[in-house]
Order: sequence, then structure tokens, then C-alpha cells
Amino acid sequence: MFGYHELKDFSAEIGEYRIKIEKEGVFYRYIRENGGRKEKNVFTDSGRLIVNPVEPVNLPKEITNFLQIRFRKPFVSEPKSTVEVYATFPIEIAVFVAAKKSVGLVDVFSMQRPKYTLYGNPREGIICRYWESDLHADVPSVDRYREGVIRLRIVNSDDEWIEISNAVFDIYGMKIFYDDEMVCSSASVNILSPKVAETRFTNKPLRDKMKKSLELYTARRISIAGVKFVMEWGL
Amino acid sequence: MIDILDYRIYQDVTVFDLIFVILVMAVATVFAKIVTTNLRRALIDKMKRDQLELMLKIIYFGIIIVAFIGVLPSLGLDLSGLLVAGGIVGIVIGFASQSVVANLVSGIFLISEKPIKIGDQISIEGVAGFVEDVNILSTIIRTYDGLYVRIPNEKVFTSSITNYVTHVARRFEYSIGIRYSDDAERAVEIIKRLIDEHPFALKNPEPQVFVDSLGDNSVNLTVRIWAPSNEWYSVKMDLLWKIKTELERNGIEIPFPQRVVWFANELRADLGEGEEKRRET
Repeated sequence: MFGYHELKDFSAEIGEYRIKIEKEGVFYRYIRENGGRKEKNVFTDSGRLIVNPVEPVNLPKEITNFLQIRFRKPFVSEPKSTVEVYATFPIEIAVFVAAKKSVGLVDVFSMQRPKYTLYGNPREGIICRYWESDLHADVPSVDRYREGVIRLRIVNSDDEWIEISNAVFDIYGMKIFYDDEMVCSSASVNILSPKVAETRFTNKPLRDKMKKSLELYTARRISIAGVKFVMEWGL
Repeated sequence: MIDILDYRIYQDVTVFDLIFVILVMAVATVFAKIVTTNLRRALIDKMKRDQLELMLKIIYFGIIIVAFIGVLPSLGLDLSGLLVAGGIVGIVIGFASQSVVANLVSGIFLISEKPIKIGDQISIEGVAGFVEDVNILSTIIRTYDGLYVRIPNEKVFTSSITNYVTHVARRFEYSIGIRYSDDAERAVEIIKRLIDEHPFALKNPEPQVFVDSLGDNSVNLTVRIWAPSNEWYSVKMDLLWKIKTELERNGIEIPFPQRVVWFANELRADLGEGEEKRRET
């Protein structure tokens, strides 16, 4: 289902959602149904529809560009060590229309219930999309329309044992990949001290030949200042 | 025509000089306007609105002031001579315009201290709304019902300012009464579930739901929820009604005030004559 589609007679079912395109005179009508109905008119001569997972910070409305993954069980990392573990992250699905070397956003929906949280204190902290995940030694099996798998490379650069129970990311640096079986991303968490870590998304799929998702911030032409985030209000 | 241009208005200042000054000032004003308009277009996406507006004002008035100082000699004004006269005039004007100066100084402090920014939601001495502009002499507020309120900067600076959106998150509170016969633990559970289902009711800081007091007519629950500052009001409006309807759907009611009255002696009702007879038969 994820991928590029011709506009003509497009129709698909994703979980409880049904999306389709109907030709109406000179324009196309995009329709998404799930109990309620959302319609949008699209005017293009020869566009294509792109459906792919995007950064999970758009629903119900865009208020932040940070994602906090809370580990259900804290992870204790030994001094001067590096380990790769797997967690999950929520999926939002975006529908783009592409024509004349440019893309426009048509719709974003999700089968996950969004939840937000505060990382840090009310004065200086940041609002984050909240997600809880277990840490797995191997790639977990998840519904690719609901969750993605993120490979976390946890590096403890400190000389002490350090417990980490969450990771906060600047989602503008997120690279999402997909194939017919899964959605994935990769990131590193570099622990600098018992209270500070640096997180950064990496541009590596979990498997070969995975397709790269079109990113929302690219479609919205948001300039990216930096892709790393310093967790300074605790691990 | 040349005679008119050479006509002396005062001292060595001719009509030509005056026209020259007016032209220069007009050109400077137009130039300042063009520069600020283009800068606004170029930087509107790249800078915060309040910082941009402040910078544009400085540039606009800077260009005009430079042009004005440049044409002062054409008006026969010697700046060195003005210093002495200006000193005396300054004292006179200073006394006459204390409030203006106070507002000006307050404005400078407000702009440098930044307790409020354009677009913030604030409350100053009973005036609540959005900050539209922070000028050098006054602050403009657009109230929630769309009124334009101009507050002198001195008043803004010396008053307590409540800024609702400086911090990223804020807390609001409900007090909800349920009947004594209802299960308070169940009510707490329902309210917590509703809060958890709302995307903008923050997970952390954790919401609090607890029995706060045993009132005359109800068991009072207190609900405390944190929400992003920009969304708190919509969350507040949304959740209260959901809590009310969900509690009622589960058989938990919010009681009306009620009072049980005990009489020392049996109460005799004043029945009508017909009613007395009917009761006797």
C-alpha cells in the first residue's frame, strides 16, 4: 500500500481507513472514510499519489517537532560501551500529491491515538509526542500501519553505569524507510553524563532495498537547523 | 521663479532650502518605507515577529533621523548652538513631559527585559488578551472580544503582568462533586481514563485526580491537568463536559444542593375542610 500510485481510480484500505480518489470534472476528489468522512479537491493534470509513513508529530494538530520514546523498562548501560537495541515508534500516514517536480500534502491520518508530554520543566522544557516502548534485542514484529521499528545505538561515553529510561528526538531529522513488511528508522543515543545525552537520527534502513519515505518537513519546506538534540533534563 | 526660490524666509534660509529639506525628508521616508517593507517580506519567515518589528522600527526611524540630521544645516540650524539652547529647552520640556519620558523609559525597559512579546496572551490589571504591539510609549492589547486597548508603558512596567504563554505548559483545575452514594474510586478511574485519552492532556507532569473534601451536599473531587500553554483552554473546555457525561453514563451523578430537615414535633399540615372530611371518612 505504501508507495507511489496513479491518481486515476486510486482506492486503498489501511486498517479501519478507506482512502480513494474520484475524478470530478477538471479536478480529482480525495476522500478518506473512517466513521467520519474527509474530502479534499485536488487539481492536477498528471500527478501521482504518494502514500507513506511520516514523522509522528502532526496529529491532532502540529504543536511540536519532538518525540519522546519512554522505555517501559529502564536500560542500564555499562561504562564505555555501545549496544544496538530495537524499540518501536508510532506511525502517521501521509498522502501527498506529486506533480511538476513538487509535492503537496493532501492528508495525514493515523491508527494510533496521539498523546503528548512535557520533557523538562514547565519553564524551559519542551512539549513532545509521547510513546511507550519495550526495548528488544531483535527486530520486533509489529503492524507496519500502526508502528515502526527504530534501531537505537546506545553509546555510553561516561565512566559510570548509567540508567536511561527515555530518549527524546528532534523529529525534523528523522529518516523513515519502508518495504512490504515493516517501517523503520535508526537513531543513536550518545550518553555524555548521568543526566545528559545527545540523540540523532541516522540515515540507515534496517534492511537493504527499503524505500525512503517522503518527509513532511521537506514537503512543507521547513528549513532544518540541526538534526541532533541534547537531552539536558534527565535520562 | 528663481526670485521666489531665493526668497529668504529667515536668516540665510531660502524657499529653495525649505523645499530641499522637504524633498529630502520625503525621499528618506519613502526610502525607509521601501527598505522596511522589503526587509519584512524577506525576513518574516526567518525571525520572530516581535524581534522583526522592533528591528524594522529601528531601521525606519534611523533612516529618517539620519536624513533629518543631514538636512539641519540647510535650515540654518547649527547643532553646537542647539546644545546650549537644547539644555534649557530640555529642562522645560522635561518638566512638561514627565509622563511621556516615563513611558519612553518604561518602553525601553520593556523591550529589553521582554516580559511580554507580540502574540503573547497576557493580563495587565484586568485587561486580558493578545499583545498586538509593544511601542516605545505604549503597549497595544487586543482583548479576547476583539477590543483595542492601549496601555501606557509606565503602567505596564509598574503593574504585575500575567503572561499565560511564557511557559510551555500550564495547569488547570476542576472541582467535581459526586453523590455520597456513588463510588468515588470508580469516578476517579473514569476521569483518569478520559484524561489519558485526550492527546493534549499531558502525560507528564502527571495529572492528579483525588477526593479533596467531603462537602455538605457532595463528595468533592479535584482534577488537575497540565496542558501545552497554547492548547490549555481548548483542553479545559473539552474535558469538563466529557467528564460530566461519562460520569453520568456510568451512573455517577453530580448532585444538586440538598438538605435534610428534622422537626422536633410532628409537622401538621394545614389541610382544607373538604380534605379533613375526606380523610375522616
